[in-house]
Amino acid sequence: MQVNFSVNGRMESVDVEPRCTLADALREDLGLTGTHLGCEHGVCGACTIMVDGQPTRACLMFAVQADGCSITTVEGLQNDDGKLHALQQSFCDRHGLQCGFCTPGMLMTAMDLLHREVEPSRERIREEMSGNICRCTGYVGIVDAVEEAARTLNSADPTD
Amino acid sequence: MTGSDSTSGSVGRTVARKEDWRLVTGRGNYVSDLELPRMRHVAFLRSPYGHARIQNVDASAADAAPWVDAVFTGLTPAIAAVELRALSALPSYIETAQPILARDKARFAGEPVAAVVAADRYRAEDALELIDVDYDPLPATVTAWEKPEVPVHDGAPDNVLLERAFEAGDVDEAFATSAVVVERELITNRHAGNPMECRAGVALWAKGENKLTLWSGTQVPHLVRNMLAELLGLPESNVRVIAPDVGGGFGTKAVLYPEDVALCIMARELRGVPLKWVEDRAEHLQAAAHARDHRYLMKVGFSAQGKITAVQADVTCNIGAYSVYPWTAGIEPLMAGGLLTGPYMVDNYRCVTRGVTTNTAYAGPYRGVARPATVFAMETMLNLGAAELGLSDLDIRRLNLIPEDAIPYRMPSRLVDDSGWYGRALEGCVEAIDYDGFLVEQKRRAEHGEEPIGIGFACYNELTGLGRAAAAGPRMPFRTGHDACTVKVEADGSVTVMSGVTSQGQGLETTMAQVVADAVGVTYDAVNVRIGDTNEALWGFGAFSSRQAVIGGGAAHTSGVALREQILELAAAVYEVSASELRLVDGRFLMPGVEQPLGTLADVARIAYMESNRLPEGFEPGLQVTRFYDPVRGAFSAGAQAAVIEIDTVSGELTILKWVCVEDAGRVINPQIVDGQIAGSIAQGIGGAMYEHLVYDESGNLSTGTLLDYLMPTSAEIPELSIGHLSKPADNPLGVRGVGEGGTLGPNAVLAGALHNALGVELTRLPITPARLWEALR
Ligand code: FES
Ligand code: FES
Repeated sequence: MQVNFSVNGRMESVDVEPRCTLADALREDLGLTGTHLGCEHGVCGACTIMVDGQPTRACLMFAVQADGCSITTVEGLQNDDGKLHALQQSFCDRHGLQCGFCTPGMLMTAMDLLHREVEPSRERIREEMSGNICRCTGYVGIVDAVEEAARTLNSADPTD
Repeated sequence: MTGSDSTSGSVGRTVARKEDWRLVTGRGNYVSDLELPRMRHVAFLRSPYGHARIQNVDASAADAAPWVDAVFTGLTPAIAAVELRALSALPSYIETAQPILARDKARFAGEPVAAVVAADRYRAEDALELIDVDYDPLPATVTAWEKPEVPVHDGAPDNVLLERAFEAGDVDEAFATSAVVVERELITNRHAGNPMECRAGVALWAKGENKLTLWSGTQVPHLVRNMLAELLGLPESNVRVIAPDVGGGFGTKAVLYPEDVALCIMARELRGVPLKWVEDRAEHLQAAAHARDHRYLMKVGFSAQGKITAVQADVTCNIGAYSVYPWTAGIEPLMAGGLLTGPYMVDNYRCVTRGVTTNTAYAGPYRGVARPATVFAMETMLNLGAAELGLSDLDIRRLNLIPEDAIPYRMPSRLVDDSGWYGRALEGCVEAIDYDGFLVEQKRRAEHGEEPIGIGFACYNELTGLGRAAAAGPRMPFRTGHDACTVKVEADGSVTVMSGVTSQGQGLETTMAQVVADAVGVTYDAVNVRIGDTNEALWGFGAFSSRQAVIGGGAAHTSGVALREQILELAAAVYEVSASELRLVDGRFLMPGVEQPLGTLADVARIAYMESNRLPEGFEPGLQVTRFYDPVRGAFSAGAQAAVIEIDTVSGELTILKWVCVEDAGRVINPQIVDGQIAGSIAQGIGGAMYEHLVYDESGNLSTGTLLDYLMPTSAEIPELSIGHLSKPADNPLGVRGVGEGGTLGPNAVLAGALHNALGVELTRLPITPARLWEALR
């Protein structure tokens, strides 16, 4: 089936079987392998992407369901000038990743949180990020990173 | 430290990790991301039975399906010709023959029975449904301490694959004169390393030559190359193993699995076609290595003052269906017997430890190997002894820890401990957790009838960076004490490191660059690190038993220092100055008393490679050094953890209020990475103590086959962690001690101890779940 959606601001058209998951369409058909698969049954959160502004598990959605949608993946996080997004930068600075496999999902989930809440406490961050599993970090660096990104975004010069 | 006179000083600092940019932008290069022309996908059919004879496998329908490229079963000659036998020279050891695809019988649920190659994974899985396997179920054994009705392997009628005794001092005499003797049966739960990226491989057999390339998430590429070459009859240089970015390992990926070998054999049958297998989580939970399904029959004697008089243990480790390749069934039982007494002074020790095969997934290396269980056993016994003697949990530890003046201390298992900073680690925890404040609060709550709180402690020693003389392992036909590293200056003056270490998230690209930058005398940014490719590094055993900082780091440092000497000699001849006075700092040549640098490394490198006409007399072109390093012995890391917990006596729910850890990592190469290793391993330990538990039913079905049942801790469960450091330099060129595993060692013991302290209840069986706690409270 022909499916059309926009990914990171680009219109894409893929020809997929109805059973093909959105995650597989992104990874296999479009080569956007930044979206990772850690369980393929909706628990680990590694595959989290934004679909029409909502955090979504790409392993639980069929590609055909995304027809007409607007999708953001980790590959679309950087600013247009190539600068890292505040979250990407803070994950680097605060050691919010080790192997990096959970990271794309963590970044997308955190981005959603920071869209909704400007200054989440550490407890709120822990609560909100609890749908994403990280096996490496023990979460300390991740909570630090989200907290720091919130600070950066809040202090950012809006004209910048 | 010997070596660096560089002022750039990369070691000891937190620097931007070389890995991070590609990983945070979604441009990592994991095996599961690999895409090659004409690539085909593989799916495995797995046994639904824990134990069954395989009467027949009918793959004809799958074979005939037009969308299927090939089907392989245990009877396919190329598959049947190879089996995995983990070797050990231990006297009682019985080898197992692990088939690549099960042939006569299936020995655990999830064992691969057939494989299909198709254009994509969806079609490959479709074809699995067309394969008809005729199983004849057999009674399964899932508990290692129960007699088997039908043995798993004919060669081991009682299922025991290996047994070893440790004996030191006079245990019977010591018990006879002890004031208190405590006996308990303690049972630990079955975990999986469960890295977020499951296993994955891409195998390509060259079309016109007998050359194999395997991209794999392995932690041990050189070892895999060596094993594959032997198993497939190839010269070693015709096998190339590449481990690119790997999404976590934790020991699980230090095994050579039958699926890996199957992939390579199938690639040989389908020359020129790259074959890709990406495991899914359900497969991973069923068929990747498990760990820590142990029983400890403990008996510990104490003097009236609380000194340990003797430790006796009977240890049974469930090693699952096969003796894991190449580590053997001895990996857990021998570690358990060798390190059970931990950081405590024990003169009289008797231990029988055995590995028992069952109809469950085989046990392999998993972060901490056996010691999360042994520390739980030992610390629980200490708490019980303290309770009987009216001592505090803290006092009994203070009394029995190996003191600094006893170092080097020969443990009753004859391992030599070089640390001795256990008391300091414990006292660090006591201070960080505010023990006195805790006591006041505990009393206040008791008086006011508020929810009880408790404190738990664990002290442990982590044996890291084992050299050739210290190998605690099960006498395998190889010794893993050394690694190689090549360091070279390129023609442009940049430095390239080709190291045998591997990284599954530990940031080895970064730390190796830090070590080499200082050893050579260049900036961190001038160093490029290439790891994980057997065609680049000369040799390295890879990532396991917290060896890489010590051994890989030692090799990087040693070769870096030798390269600097080579550079300085050439530069001295070029600049006509004395080599002994010349220094290389941040890539520039300095002479004492001369303000301006004489030149840069790039200048000299250009001469070495591009302008042989300017090479001084007696110098060959090129600047490159390769060195091996072996620390000969190991380095013990001292560690202690403590936590305060609160119990909801109505629901049995346990809340962690505070968690502290103090560890001795020796000299720290990169503080942020070291802290990350410790935090991550504590989290895994907490997961294992409270949530993670692989459960089999009586017929050998795994009833925790998804992440909905096998619960991994999230940011909501893991508390804030306070991590403190001791830095006692170890006896190796960098002064480092390994830190990869220590954190996992504490949590079982800490949490069980804290419960005991809070409520006086004993949990002798892990994990600590609200249901078990609630029951214990009744
Ligand atoms: S892969 Fe989608 S939630 Fe785990
Ligand atoms: S960084 Fe490895 S799983 Fe999170």
